[in-house]
Amino acid sequence: MPSRIPPIVAAPSARRRWLCALGGLSIVVGAASAQAQVASLDVSSALFVEPSKRSGLTVLNPSAALAVSPSNWLTVQGGYEADIVSGASESVKGGRLSNVDIVTSATHFADTRHALSGGFMITRASTHLSGSYTYGTEHDYRSNAFALSAGTDFLQKNTQIELSYGRGFDKVCTAAYAASDAPSSRLALDNSKGCFTDDKKRASRDISLNNFQVGWTQTWTPVFATQMVLSAALQNGFLGNPYRSVVIAPAGDQALENHPENRARGALGLRGKYYVRNLQTAFSAGARLYRDTWDIFGQTYEIDAERYMLPWLRILVRGRYYTQTKALFWSDDYTGGEPATGPRGQYWSGDRELSPLSSYLIGGRALVTREGRPGARVAGLFLSLSGAFGFDLLKTNLRDFTLGGRAPDDTVAMLWSLGFRGEF
Amino acid sequence: MKHLEGSALAKALGGTLGVLVLLASSGCATVRPEQRAILADPTMQFDAKSADQAALDHALDNREGSTGGGSVRGGGCGCN
Repeated sequence: MPSRIPPIVAAPSARRRWLCALGGLSIVVGAASAQAQVASLDVSSALFVEPSKRSGLTVLNPSAALAVSPSNWLTVQGGYEADIVSGASESVKGGRLSNVDIVTSATHFADTRHALSGGFMITRASTHLSGSYTYGTEHDYRSNAFALSAGTDFLQKNTQIELSYGRGFDKVCTAAYAASDAPSSRLALDNSKGCFTDDKKRASRDISLNNFQVGWTQTWTPVFATQMVLSAALQNGFLGNPYRSVVIAPAGDQALENHPENRARGALGLRGKYYVRNLQTAFSAGARLYRDTWDIFGQTYEIDAERYMLPWLRILVRGRYYTQTKALFWSDDYTGGEPATGPRGQYWSGDRELSPLSSYLIGGRALVTREGRPGARVAGLFLSLSGAFGFDLLKTNLRDFTLGGRAPDDTVAMLWSLGFRGEF
Repeated sequence: MKHLEGSALAKALGGTLGVLVLLASSGCATVRPEQRAILADPTMQFDAKSADQAALDHALDNREGSTGGGSVRGGGCGCN
């Protein structure tokens, strides 16, 4: 979660912890690679840019992952990724009736999230079991996530079933208020200074996450396969933005964003892949339906096509449309009026992700692969080496969301990604 | 505020699992191993782990109110 102050240099003790963690990971991976048959290294970076005159956002997301298979049934993996976030955002949300100057309330922020992960996969003849742990940290947020996944295939490998479960124990920093304090009297954080210390002006609040998923993949013909994925998630704890205030009274009174503490979410995704021999192209189409207990109903429709332009060059193009309804308690302005404005009971939110919106996405990816030959590795090291470059353009249509009555101008986003993968 | 009971979610999950098993059982072995040349190609894989897709999912999760239901490992290969 981004903070409103420049990045704070990590304390020496925090640095030592990171160095120890990285050292431990390298020992584990190094020991495994000493007798490895195959290892793969993935290095990638993505750049997300959302231009705006008032509140632009830039996120750089570098990552690296190493997987080693010391035997033909075991793979051990470790990875690191970061989110380097900078930009500006409005710390106060008011709607079309508010008299608050939202424009000048935009504040600059910068933060970096670090995430370190490790895991394993055990593969047998027709089954596999994998587990992973990820620790993430930033100035105002801590996350611990465990994931387990098991899969099997049967009917001559035409049917594959995969079950996954994830458990998260997160902590978010907020201003220090008592649970008994009226939500309308709670204040938002103005910066992350003092978070996760014994600072009496800061508090740490828990977020509990449970994620379930089942996937069924079926091959029907030599050129047609489908996949169905059902997901469910339960979230409990502080689910708002600790930095955001919302104007809740005509006089301009503000209070910390107040979201319900529980949210159950469910999604069903269906997609199919079909290879058209005449065009030598694989086409994919999919739909996803989403529903949660905050009354958001989302629909996603996507298509893509991928083709070998050359034996070593694959091109993919994709398109996507998304639409959602608003959360039951979302309002553009809580100070009066109907239907887009007006109070919504005991909760209030300034989150545009909970407002009614739709979005269009177009993009693509080029992937270059170079395979080594027996006795002749690529660059003298790799069994195979591949590089991918992707670009996507996202346009969001916010139907009711305004900042003091003005439509936000940060509704076009661009995403570039560049990645390399080597097997050795 | 609408609340979906935990037991209702569990029932929905269990019911879907049952339907999955029934459908899969009726799917029969429609593709023989020697017919998998195209299905085994990377372009026919349902794989959510490509770097660009992971970055895109990450961005969309932070821009939309919904999540889940994405693709999982699997596809026509069946070669492990």
